[in-house]
Amino acid sequence: MSGTDFDVVVVGAGPAGSAAAIEVARAGRSVCLLERGPSPGSKNMYGGVVYGRILDTLVPAWWEQAPVERWVTRRSTMLISGDQALTVDFRNPGWGEAPHNGATAYRPEFDSWLAGVAVDAGAELVCSTTATGLIREAGQVVGVRTDRPNGDLRASVVVACDGVNSFLAKEAGMYPHDDPSNFTVGVKETIALPRHVIDERFAVRGDEGVDIEILGCTGDVPGGGFVYTNRSTVAVGLVLSLPALAAGGTRPEEILRLLKAHPAIAPLIEGGEVVEYSAHVIPEAGYDMMPELVGDGILVAGDAAAMCLAAGIWLEGVNFAIGSGALAGRTAALAARRGDASAAGLAGYRSSLESSFVLSDHRRLRDAPHLVMSDLAQRVLPAVACGVVEDVFTVTNPTPKPGMRRIVRQRLRRHGVRLRDLFREGLRALRTFG
Amino acid sequence: MLIAACVKLVEIRPLVDPLTGSVDPGREVGCSAADRAAVEVVRRLAESWSARTLLISVGPPRAEPLLVELAAVGIDAAVRIDAPRGVDSSTVGRLLAATLADVGADVVVCGDYSSDRGSGSVPAFIAHHLGAAQALGLVEVHTEGPGSLRVVRRLDGGRREVAVVDAPAVMSVEGSVAELRRAPLRSVLADAVPVEVVATDVPLSVRTLPTRAFSPPTRVASAPTGTPLDRVVELTGALVERTPPRTVALDPPEAAGMILEQLRSWGYLDEPDPA
Repeated sequence: MSGTDFDVVVVGAGPAGSAAAIEVARAGRSVCLLERGPSPGSKNMYGGVVYGRILDTLVPAWWEQAPVERWVTRRSTMLISGDQALTVDFRNPGWGEAPHNGATAYRPEFDSWLAGVAVDAGAELVCSTTATGLIREAGQVVGVRTDRPNGDLRASVVVACDGVNSFLAKEAGMYPHDDPSNFTVGVKETIALPRHVIDERFAVRGDEGVDIEILGCTGDVPGGGFVYTNRSTVAVGLVLSLPALAAGGTRPEEILRLLKAHPAIAPLIEGGEVVEYSAHVIPEAGYDMMPELVGDGILVAGDAAAMCLAAGIWLEGVNFAIGSGALAGRTAALAARRGDASAAGLAGYRSSLESSFVLSDHRRLRDAPHLVMSDLAQRVLPAVACGVVEDVFTVTNPTPKPGMRRIVRQRLRRHGVRLRDLFREGLRALRTFG
Repeated sequence: MLIAACVKLVEIRPLVDPLTGSVDPGREVGCSAADRAAVEVVRRLAESWSARTLLISVGPPRAEPLLVELAAVGIDAAVRIDAPRGVDSSTVGRLLAATLADVGADVVVCGDYSSDRGSGSVPAFIAHHLGAAQALGLVEVHTEGPGSLRVVRRLDGGRREVAVVDAPAVMSVEGSVAELRRAPLRSVLADAVPVEVVATDVPLSVRTLPTRAFSPPTRVASAPTGTPLDRVVELTGALVERTPPRTVALDPPEAAGMILEQLRSWGYLDEPDPA
């Protein structure tokens, strides 16, 4: 296409951006992958697991080359109330075998690897370069401005993968409103421990890893926690409601300190050395906060498009980023070939997202973030669950054992939960997750 | 006129174990702030004197992306002298000087020392081999006229030395001398400066020498006097008059007050001003 430097400019070399660049390059179109950090992933953090199934088509046998820390073979959900904890623990050694399910990884290494795949496919990677704005002609996006001298870069299509709080999508007018309640902040400490100590404490061997999701550990601030294992570090973190943090004047690191001191967590990290503290904003509300995904000359993917699934038992982001980025790349390459980068010419992106897991999962689970952040899920459920289990396992001889119904009813009454409210919320959860 | 900048590929985020002092070099590579300042000084001198510029490094092939990245700020040519990591400073100086003499460099600018435990001796070795003037550890570099520089050097005690240096000269600059400019996007995209590789005869492995455990020289010590109990008492100071230790349990404000009071009684702090 004449008058352009590249067919496609992808802004942000995270998982979404690299996936987009891979698809564009493999379609035989020229693509520039801009990254503001000195290397891909150098500014990225996350709180969990890379689910790699989406990579199967993008990078066949990816597990043989991706820089993985541990393969998650143990997945636990923990409910915390006071100093009590109730854990549902699932093990599947099969996930430790190819083609695997999910893995823990360091984002600077994982993102650099995926960007390397894009470079090998023919993408031009430019690091230490920030896209500062859009270039428009007659209302159509025709490139980006960067912070380098002579830094304008013109392209048929711009794919904005510039992360949560996307300035490019905002400048393009694709975010109709900016509601802080849609966002959470994730904070994480990476704690170094000898590998054999991690193996012993988490009861795993070799490359096996553990991912623990925690509810009820954030005090008065709605949110959740997580613990996962890398080879020689353990990551402990929280996801916290931004408005609640601001309203209460609470420091996230203080809540994290309390989580680390909890009797269920402290023995896991005892003696470890904190080697990193990081924080990141998360587009928590998912489907309900998504921007316009398609504009004239521009597509939005990854966290920039709020493609982060925070649905309680499912906490996924990297796979949605890769999925949306790959589809954006395919659409952009097709538009460049056809010479039609108008919103109509790029409309296939939205429909391909709708027919893939990316938007179908988000649409189906759109109520899940609200459910998870509700007072019932945050405080009442962990307290009732821990209390019921405490009553069940506390031997009160010579008093006879109480019946289960009585225990549950007493605990519900103690926490002011009416059965009809419980059923209503249960139905709501069934409709959401069912 | 040709002005050359010498840079070295180093690990930029080494991890030092505070307990053992062992160093994990880390994965991220780049060059020191001083090397980046050297490149910027070269660019500024070249603009003043309308001179050609050269970027040069001794190192393995993985140093080439660094040369390409730095050359994008407007360097005319880049050379990598092929050698393994860990070559000693005198060899690096000799290799650099040989190539710089071949290309006819008039002024050579280096960082004052590399950030991987560098000794800062390479610029001096280069100057020696080239027979050029040397001005090392500079904090300011100004042009006086074609081929002439007025430089400011850091001395002990906060003093400064101002010198005029004429080409041919070798200089080393501190990282604070200049901030490397941003490379234009077009230069970054173009990879415009190819890296020329110069072969050397430096062996690809580092030569190691056998070492012996340190053995202190023998000295004559007089026989101990007194009973073993006397010697233990003398060594431990157990019977010397001293302030007995106290254990107190106080709230933080009271504890802080007691610490201050104790420090005053020992003479470490002045008495509080009654006013």
